[in-house]
Amino acid sequence: MRRATGVLGVALGLALVLSSCGDGKSSGGAGSGAKSEVIAIAADPLDYINPLNENGSPGIQVAQAVFAPLVATDPNTGKTVNVMAESVTPDKTSQTWTIKLKSGNTFQNGQALTAKDYVDSWNLTAQGSTAWKNNGFFSKVEGYDAMNPPTPDGATPKPTSVKTLSGLKQIDDLTFSVKLKVPFSQFGLTLQYLGLAPLPEEVRKNPDAYKRKPIGNGAFKLDGAWNPGDDIKLVKWDGYKGPNAPEADAITFRFIPNADTAYNEFLAGNVDFVDVPPTKIKTFKTDAPDGWVTATSSGANYLTMPAWDPRYKNPKLRHAFSMAIDRKAFADLVGLATPSNGLVSPDMDGYRPDACKYCTFDPTAAKQLLAEAGGFSGAVNINYNTTSATGQIFAEAIGNMLRQNLGLTVKYTGKQGSEITQLADTRKLDGLRFSGWGHDYPSIEDYLTPMFKSNGDANFSGYNNPELDKVLAQGDAEPNPEKAIKLYQQAEDIALEDMPLIPLYAKQNAYLHSAKIMPRVSKYTGVQALYSTFK
Amino acid sequence: MTRFVLRRILAAIPIGLIVTLGVFALVFAMPGDPLRELAGDKPIPAAVLAAKRAQFHLDDPFIVQYLLSMKDMFTGHFGTTFAGADIASQLRLRIPVTLKLATLSLALQWIAGLLFGLYAGFRRNGVVDRMLLLSTLVVLAVPGLVLYFAGQFLFGVQLKWLPVSGITEGYPLAYLLPATCIAITGFAGMARLTRTSIVDTANADFVKTARAKGLGEQRILWRHVLPNALLPVVTLMGIDFAGIFAGAVLAESIFNLPGLGQFLFQSIRFHEGGVVVLLSTLAFVMFIAINLVVDIVYGLIDPRVRNV
Repeated sequence: MRRATGVLGVALGLALVLSSCGDGKSSGGAGSGAKSEVIAIAADPLDYINPLNENGSPGIQVAQAVFAPLVATDPNTGKTVNVMAESVTPDKTSQTWTIKLKSGNTFQNGQALTAKDYVDSWNLTAQGSTAWKNNGFFSKVEGYDAMNPPTPDGATPKPTSVKTLSGLKQIDDLTFSVKLKVPFSQFGLTLQYLGLAPLPEEVRKNPDAYKRKPIGNGAFKLDGAWNPGDDIKLVKWDGYKGPNAPEADAITFRFIPNADTAYNEFLAGNVDFVDVPPTKIKTFKTDAPDGWVTATSSGANYLTMPAWDPRYKNPKLRHAFSMAIDRKAFADLVGLATPSNGLVSPDMDGYRPDACKYCTFDPTAAKQLLAEAGGFSGAVNINYNTTSATGQIFAEAIGNMLRQNLGLTVKYTGKQGSEITQLADTRKLDGLRFSGWGHDYPSIEDYLTPMFKSNGDANFSGYNNPELDKVLAQGDAEPNPEKAIKLYQQAEDIALEDMPLIPLYAKQNAYLHSAKIMPRVSKYTGVQALYSTFK
Repeated sequence: MTRFVLRRILAAIPIGLIVTLGVFALVFAMPGDPLRELAGDKPIPAAVLAAKRAQFHLDDPFIVQYLLSMKDMFTGHFGTTFAGADIASQLRLRIPVTLKLATLSLALQWIAGLLFGLYAGFRRNGVVDRMLLLSTLVVLAVPGLVLYFAGQFLFGVQLKWLPVSGITEGYPLAYLLPATCIAITGFAGMARLTRTSIVDTANADFVKTARAKGLGEQRILWRHVLPNALLPVVTLMGIDFAGIFAGAVLAESIFNLPGLGQFLFQSIRFHEGGVVVLLSTLAFVMFIAINLVVDIVYGLIDPRVRNV
């Protein structure tokens, strides 16, 4: 046995020496042609390209190349600029929005892009029976409930003959209006979400037939047939007349489900751009000394309190938990992360670095608050996702802080992420869990409404405070952007005082790029390989 | 022989039903909601959840879901995965990938295992024998995951001799590295068993008798030692072949080969009971067929077990 261990040690040592010998510089050149790039995506291959049925990063990344949104964020200023839209105009109350399209835009099949394409594509998506992922986006539009009668989870929905949203109206070939259920000042910002892209008529008639041959309106189109198992190869589409066209002539998306393998493909010089996986956070700068970039991710991570468990009800107890957590140490454990001091992502307009009063690490004050709250009975259970490589490590780190700084008994439960979500949704989850949120459109409202409004889509903690709902509604009804942000900040303050979610950290994402490209890096839009400049 | 084959096939039917039902029950019993797993952290509107549940019969009782998936399988209406992939085209893509990987890795494993095993068996305590003992110990001690990533890094990233992952380089180049990695992990058992079997048989009384009768060494080797020594090796080869599907799960995931193992892994992750049963049935049919072949080969090698 000793001999075997020795040999194994030599073999592993050799592997380590070899790995440290790597120059880490990618020669790039993965794609052929002067301005072509290969982007590795560490995910299962896509089964279709349809932005209206996509809300995850891999699908939206590809859709971003093939489809163009109505409006977009200018990477230099952070302001919204029109892409397919000529103008987006709210009425006085911000309840009805008129969207006028630029003339002369077409789909990649040559068909003119009209208001009808938007209205019909949105109606198709808003219909529950279509079962497309962005259905929920239209829940703000008048008539959504008639199309999707509220159904308890697990029950079969009642059939409905309503096939259109009463709030969507085509005014002329290039103009349509959207009437919302209630005023919503941020609606204009939501229009940059690619999940609202239009589909041409022939695709709308038979979406399944076009799953693998999308007809978009964006800067790139498919280069030949795309069969299962193939990389997605795109070439520049000359018909794109929108602003901000990418510099690349051709892009290949290569799907590699194992993130470490994708990273190795980069080191071998076979791809031009790759996300750094969590296992390489400590080494990526030396692996590719001349080809890495980082950016704060548009997202925030929390420790979530169960509002349905009376033991966690007292805000003082939540403040005690929050102040017992050493966020700096925790962020160091996460790797590339910064401690959170508020509920919204740091790259948002309206983010305040000092928003959270109870996010300072102060074990003495935490103990005092816990005593004032009457202590905690039983063990604190921390649920973690067993499919995440770091789930248990993070749970134990938080558990140790609560144990050492508050003298609590802590236990841990590992479950699949979907089981944790299901138990939380049905208010049966025992104890704390981790959660995270990234916005679909750049507004702090897209953090506060989903997670803290009483009927929010992503109300992880089951939180309900009518006062916060009222302030959010005031923000939604405020047409002046600065005043709206002030109101949303008030809502954030209320949520921080009640603390259903304890802010933990904002993650930074790291990427490697080959010598031939420089990805676009912007405070407002993050790191985007699609908009790389070529050297 | 025909009766023997028919008997084995008929016996496989009830076993197949038990296996498929058991596998489906295991996937069904997995905690968590498959549709929520698919959505990640994003919320799914109730209307979409309801439509998807109806589409995939997820609200039906367990036995109804099982029978529906068996019906789909036998009528060839495979449909789509929860994520929207067409299952039939996935099978068309993936079966050849796994077969190529399996045959190449088994060929490498068997050739190396048999050659080293035979040589070491006949030259006991020689340099090759000692090297074999040492190298198989190392192979058995190194976890597959470490071996696969080390191989990928060394031959793909550093030396650039072979592709890091994927099948774009075609057969056999794209398959060589993962197949070699699988072969290395399987080689140890094959080589050791062959060696031990050769040693045992060479020392058997009937070999001594043959030698005492004055038979030539070549005749003793080919006529008496090898046929008897290879019986357990053939059994192991059958088990190896049938088990390659399980081995492919790890290799296909790490080397990004779009084969059945990768598909099985994804399907289990997303609780795709129907797909898991379909793939398990494929594996089961392969297992039964290979066992049948092994039994027939057994009979050819050893007349004593013919038609048993």
